[in-house]
Amino acid sequence: MHPIFSQPARLALYFGVWLIFGALLAGVLAIGHQTPLDWALEFAIPQTVLLGVLSLSTWYLVRALPASETPMPRLLGTWLGAAIVLLAIWLSIALLWGRWLALRSAMPALQDTAQRLAPLLVFVGAIGLLLAVLGHYLLAAFDRSRRAETRSLELQVHAREAELKSLRSQLDPHFLFNSLNSVAALIGSDAAAARRMCLLLAAFCRKSISLGREPAIRFAQELELTETFLAIEAVRFGERLCPRFDIAEETRNLSVPPLVLQPLVENAIHHGIAHLLSGGEVFIGARQREHLLELIVENPFDPEAPKSRGAGVGINNVRARIDTLYGHRASIEVDNRNERFRVTLLMPATPLPIAAAAPAP
Amino acid sequence: MRILIVDDETLARAYLVEQLAVFPDVEIVGQAANGFEAVKLVDELSPDLVLLDIQMPKLSGFEVLELLAERAPAVVFVTAYDEFALRAFEVHAVDYLLKPVEPPRLKSALERADARLRNNSGAPSVAAQSQALLAAARPPGVKLDRVLIREESKVLVLPVERLDYIEAQDDYLWFNADGKRHRKQQTMSDLESQLDPARFVRIHRSYLLNIDRLSRLELYSKDSWLAILTSGAHLPVSRAGHARLKELIS
Repeated sequence: MHPIFSQPARLALYFGVWLIFGALLAGVLAIGHQTPLDWALEFAIPQTVLLGVLSLSTWYLVRALPASETPMPRLLGTWLGAAIVLLAIWLSIALLWGRWLALRSAMPALQDTAQRLAPLLVFVGAIGLLLAVLGHYLLAAFDRSRRAETRSLELQVHAREAELKSLRSQLDPHFLFNSLNSVAALIGSDAAAARRMCLLLAAFCRKSISLGREPAIRFAQELELTETFLAIEAVRFGERLCPRFDIAEETRNLSVPPLVLQPLVENAIHHGIAHLLSGGEVFIGARQREHLLELIVENPFDPEAPKSRGAGVGINNVRARIDTLYGHRASIEVDNRNERFRVTLLMPATPLPIAAAAPAP
Repeated sequence: MRILIVDDETLARAYLVEQLAVFPDVEIVGQAANGFEAVKLVDELSPDLVLLDIQMPKLSGFEVLELLAERAPAVVFVTAYDEFALRAFEVHAVDYLLKPVEPPRLKSALERADARLRNNSGAPSVAAQSQALLAAARPPGVKLDRVLIREESKVLVLPVERLDYIEAQDDYLWFNADGKRHRKQQTMSDLESQLDPARFVRIHRSYLLNIDRLSRLELYSKDSWLAILTSGAHLPVSRAGHARLKELIS
């Protein structure tokens, strides 16, 4: 598609410029060559518009000869040839048009005027053509850079999607192997508990995989996943782990990105409770504050605990995702004063789409 | 063989007890649920072998080994997953087991430990390289954040920000913090390589200074200076030390 025809505004602007060019040429003829103004306008304007139409064909050469990739001699030679052909066509038509106008106006003197104008017309035509070619090159460059911009934006979007996917699917190997270790231990002493643990693990893996695939889930589903996770960790940590929930009813039907709460609870256990000899309480709170959903996870921690592997990974992961999804409309704050670690997550309280509001069967 | 099991999880200890039951010449002399207990029990029970978990409250398995130092018995680390620790084990040829422990691997680890106990001087002791192991198991870029010192039966945990300066004397280092000094067997270069170089400067062959404690510098003689600390202590500064100080401050 010709870039000038692709947008009506461009087409209007293009011929508008040619009309002005024609008016200027008419002015030059009327003042410099003492032709009557009406004749000059009648002669010049159709001819410049014609030159504009002819110049449109240069687009095909512009496309075939990219300025940056074509050797200079070939570029100049081709354009010189093309210019001569175009100008010859245009000049012949212009002269015929001038003659016809002179005959029609019954002013034979003007017939010669048209002939005398030939050198001026060649000069003016060459300038018009040159400007048209440069304009086409500019347009080509402009379109190319815009396409590149669009593509880079598309790439960014894809990269972001991939990032979200991989962040969601991080299953902590430490958690997995420790849980399997608990199963191995229970089989010898309490087979029923071992079976329960297997079922919990299966449920947790299944849920985190299927929920992780969704762009958004019911908050109640996230809570269920978190409860399953806590049930598994309770087997490992025994009485050291005491979860306490305070969930406002109206939050359950809000829509949230998957895996926003569970990683925070995982963090609370692995970097808080696990380092305390006698453990402690993990508090999980959710409530709606006007148009925001507030999630709180709080746990005691030992400030003198040895630096443990992957500290902060879970929180950074959630932060990166809510940043990508909500930008400045969401925030995550960490407060670790007085040997208590508190994460507060604020994000827009999005109601569920109607179709998804009904709990899955 | 007399074995001590160290793990903070009851189930994990129970699993090892159960797996060890099939070996007739193995006696489980004790179980510890955290690092402090482990250090105490090794002293009290002097086991032949310790099965040592890495991630524990208070002290990590590596820190337990460091504290035991030359008193350490044979050690086999037990971990669920820790990529940096595993790399360190490979580099230093340290025996380890992965949770859940597979019986054949447990058997061969016991056999290797037994072989080492028999010829006693066989492989290099794990304890001798405990410092290097501790450094290697730290994720890249993470610096030493606390120093562990044993005094009699007590274990002292000194966060590095509480240290004023460290003085080398013979084979020992004196750690000065909160107006007290604590002795530990370690070399200066070993310690220096583990500390954050933006905070600790070697101002002299025998002195490592916490830059936060520096009050001012005084010219002492042509090529030496005195560092005056906020606590009022005076430390010698060598020419090379002065250059390092200047570079860090500017």
